[in-house]
This record gives sequence, C-alpha cells and structure tokens, in this order.
Amino acid sequence: MASIQLQNIVKRYGAFVGVQHMSLDITDQEFLVLLGPSGCGKTTTMRMIAGLEHPTEGTVVIGGEVMNDIDARDRDVAMVFQGYALYPNMTIYENIRFPLRMRRVPAGEHDRLIRQAADMVELGDLLDRKPGALSGGQRQRAALARAVVRQPQVFLMDEPLSNLDAKLRASMRVQIKHLQRQLKVTTIYVTHDQIEAMTLADRIVIMNKGAIQQVGTPDEIYSDPANTFVAGFIGGPPMNLIDGVAEKGRFTAPGITVPCSAALRGPVTLGVRPEDCQIGGDNLEGSVYGVEPTGDVTYLTVMAGTKAVEVKAARAFRAEIDTPIRIGFDVGRLYFFRDDGARIRGDA
Amino acid sequence: MARTRKTRGESLILRYLVLGSWALVCGLPILWFLTIGFRPRTEIITPQPIYWPTFSLDAWHLLVSDWPIARYLRNSLVAVAGSVVIDLVLAIPAAFALSRYEFKGRENIGFYILSTRMMAPAIVAVPIFFLFKTMGLLDSVWALMLIYAAINLSLVTWIIRSYMMDIPKELEDAARTDGASDLRILWEIIIPACLPGIITAAVIAAIFAINEFLFTLLIASTSRAYTMSVALANFTGGSDGVIYNAIALVSFIAFVPILILVILIQKHLSRGLTMGAVKG
Repeated sequence: MASIQLQNIVKRYGAFVGVQHMSLDITDQEFLVLLGPSGCGKTTTMRMIAGLEHPTEGTVVIGGEVMNDIDARDRDVAMVFQGYALYPNMTIYENIRFPLRMRRVPAGEHDRLIRQAADMVELGDLLDRKPGALSGGQRQRAALARAVVRQPQVFLMDEPLSNLDAKLRASMRVQIKHLQRQLKVTTIYVTHDQIEAMTLADRIVIMNKGAIQQVGTPDEIYSDPANTFVAGFIGGPPMNLIDGVAEKGRFTAPGITVPCSAALRGPVTLGVRPEDCQIGGDNLEGSVYGVEPTGDVTYLTVMAGTKAVEVKAARAFRAEIDTPIRIGFDVGRLYFFRDDGARIRGDA
Repeated sequence: MARTRKTRGESLILRYLVLGSWALVCGLPILWFLTIGFRPRTEIITPQPIYWPTFSLDAWHLLVSDWPIARYLRNSLVAVAGSVVIDLVLAIPAAFALSRYEFKGRENIGFYILSTRMMAPAIVAVPIFFLFKTMGLLDSVWALMLIYAAINLSLVTWIIRSYMMDIPKELEDAARTDGASDLRILWEIIIPACLPGIITAAVIAAIFAINEFLFTLLIASTSRAYTMSVALANFTGGSDGVIYNAIALVSFIAFVPILILVILIQKHLSRGLTMGAVKG
C-alpha cells in the first residue's frame, strides 16, 4: 500500500514534449484513472511511475521514497498491459509464478499464492494451458492474476480492456473494480474510454497534449468541467459545444438564443449536455437531422444553422428528417467557455 | 455432393502429381549420386547409359581402407558444431543488445557487423593464413572452428536480431516490472520466444560451415584437419585420376548430417524462414 506523488514531471523526446510539468498527488488505496486521447501522455506518465521511462525533469515518489534512480524491477509495482504481455513459452501457472520467482518469494509459498490469485480472477482450471490456447478475456484475467499474485504496493493498468469486445469489457470492468476494492491497492488505470473512467475511478485525471486538463471525481468532471476539452470528452454523447456571441445578457448563435450573464460579452462557447435539452421550448430552432433509438432512450440530432446539436429524447420519440423542431435548454445547467476553451464561471 | 467429392479427389491427385514430380526433380540428383557411389569405376564413364548398373562396394572399400573418412567426417562435425556453438554464444547477446538497447551508433554497428559479409573471403585469406600461422593454429580442427565461427557470426547475429525485433517490447516491460534482470529477460523470455529464429540461424550457419572450402584448404594442410569438403577435392587429382564413385559417396556422406538436421527441425525451420520473410 502506498501513496504516489508526481512532482513537476517533464518528459521530452528530443524536441517533442510528451508530458509537461505534471504534478499529481495520489492517495493510498485510491483508484485513479488517467483519461485522454491517444498521444496525450497518459501512458508515458504511467511508464514513468513503473520505472520503464525516466522523467527528464521532476520527481516520482512512491510510498514516501524518491524513485527516480530506482530500476523498474526494484519498484514494488505490478503492471497490466494492453496486449496482456503473457510469456508465450510458459503455461499460465508459470506466468503467474514468474514474479514470485523473480522476487525470491520462498518456493514453498508459490503454489498457494498462485492458486489464490487464479481463483480471484476465476482462472483456476486453466493453469496448465499456454497463453496461446486462451481467449482474449482469459488472457486478460491471467495477466491480472500475474499482477495480483505478489501483492504489490501499486497496480498500473495500461488500457487493459481495449482488446476485448464490448460485453466482455463491461464484465471485466466490474471485476477489476471489485478486485481493487478487495485488495485495497493503490491503482492507476490508463484509458481513452470515458465510460471506463467514469465507472472505475475514485478520481479522474483528464490529459491532453501532455498536460493535465482537470483532476476530480467523476461527478466533478461531469458536472463541473474546467474547459471545452473536458466538456467535449466526457459524457456519451458528449456535451454540445456551440460557438456564438454574448451581448447584453443574451447568447446567440444561428438558430439558438439563451439568456446569459450581462457581464458576458463577445465570442463565447455555449455548452449544453444532451440530457439538459427538451423537445419544445424556445432556445433552439432547427430541423431534425437524424433519430437514433437505442432502446432505453432516443438520441436526436438537430441542425441549428450548420451546427449539429445532440438531444436526449424520450424513448418513444420519433420524427422524420427535415421536420422543423424547437428545443428548450435547462437554462440553469448551461456552461460558458471563453474562446480559448477555459470555463467562464459565475458572472465573470 | 458426389460431384464435389469427385473434383476434390481429382484435385488431390493433381496435387500429389505436381508435388511428386517436384520431389523427383529434387531427389533424382541425390539418387543418381548414390547409384554412382555404388558402381564399379568401369561403369561410370561410358558413352552408353547403363540402366541396371552392377552393385559394387569398390568406392566404399577405397574410402574405408585408403582414406581416413571417419576422421574427415569427425573433423567436419566437430568444427561445424563448435563453430555454431561459438556463433550462438556470441550472437545471442549481441543481437539482444542491437535489438533492445538504445545507444549511440546502434544502427551503424549493426550495419558494420553485416558488412563483414560483403567482401570476398579471398581478400582476407592471406592475412588470415599468416595470423593463424603466427598463433600456431595451422592444420588444426580448432582453427577451423574459429574460422567458421568468424565467417558466420555476422549472419547469425543479423538473423537473430531481426527475430528479436519482432518480439513485442511489452513482454520485456512486463518481465522488468515483474522483477527480472536483463540477463533473466534474455534467458527466460527472449530466447524461448525467438527459438525458431535461433534454430534457423544455427542451421544456416551449419550449412555454410560444412560447405566451407577456401579457408579449410588454407588452414588444413594435412589429413589431420581435413574436412569432408576438402577431402572431396582430393579425389579429383593424383595418379589415380578422377575417382567419380568415391566423390559421389563422399558427397553423399557429407550431405547426410545436414539432411538429418533439417528433417529433425523442419517445423521450426519453415516457420523460421517465413517469419523472417514477412517481417516489414
């Protein structure tokens, strides 16, 4: 069990900056998710914690100990990889045993620990198979068992579910969260899937272009986004971001008018979540572009001028395309952003 | 249903016909060599073809009585096996470094190693002769072992390196976070994962070594260090003229160890060769 501190971490590859001035405090037993598009520096950050990359500047502290000069193999950190990274020449049993052998755990303990870890991920009857004879989900569970078996201080998981199909991903997600709660090990989880981030995390760190955009609980990230990047990344479908002009207490864009603070002036971006839009109202005037029933809700895309706006409608809602339609926004739940993307809070 | 079965049967016959003819094309010279090896000398150089030659052990008796064929064969096997072992011991760590570590001039060193194959061996023949003479290594199997190893080292390194580069880096990262040292990673993860490549490289090196002629002739000046390839050449001169049946027999004996080797590791070899081929 350990807390982790990243202090002003920078990672450069020649002229390219992978991670820029990142500071982060991860508390003991926390489940932290690094979320961002590919190339945002989230995997690099995780690899620096693992010791597989060295920060160009800054300090990595695990369990109160500075780790910069400590080799990956001497950090008590277990990692689960996107491609599972099971050793193809060894059976699953040998795979799970490998970290125990490397860390000189007494041989008498091995069998008990391996079976315990395998049972935890329901893999008990596949121990004598080779990785090649396992399905994707089974391989992922084997990789989890290999990480769990030596009871590390920290778990690092690098997009562990992205090679699985949607159904399996959902069930593995619950399993991973359950495992983390059960073992109470500080966990850092990298993903580009916002659903995984929202469902798993105690706290989410949203990254873009090597920099932290926002750190917060899933609720905070969802209901109080710091900028247009976060707002547009979280939620399925994500928040509608509409460029327009604010003047004399009104925000206008083609086909759209909403009240706003009188202090707001000039070009701003309006953010409104699909679930804060209702059919009927006087904030948006446009035409139906598409209707997507999903069973429990229906997603409606409305064209206002040239801007497509997503609306979450009742499940029975149906409409032909090009039908004129009016939409109302929940004016208490509107977000405004400056044209550089930063959130405008209160009356500012 | 019956119709598809029939066409399938026909295509199977066709397939066997094609494969059989090809096998014949490949096998015929070997077979022909064998029949020459077991004919009397008089039945070899004739203007008329002899379809049913007389079976004779003349050549075999000649080899066994006048020529220390067992010693030549042993020399060949010792020198070749030793050279392959030396190659693997040196090439595997070199390939690991060249494929896995980041260091300045890595590509240049890799290319330099390969480039030693690019010159004609005859260029270095004289310097190598004097080098071995000074070291007192002339006319010894150990010298041949060294020479063969040196000749093939670059190729073996390069083949194994290309296999190692195909092994996902994730495997190594996983082993490292699991607590393995570099040597452990090499021994327990990398070598088993690229075993087909290592076997392919070893077989290719063995074939090159067993066929090596120039340096063997240079260094092995008496029958003490003669190998099969040089012994073979000794049948082409001398007062007895060209002894074709003995040549054929020796060629066949030289060919058998490689044949056995290739059959034993056929599965790995074909996989190894194609794996290298499709690599981008």
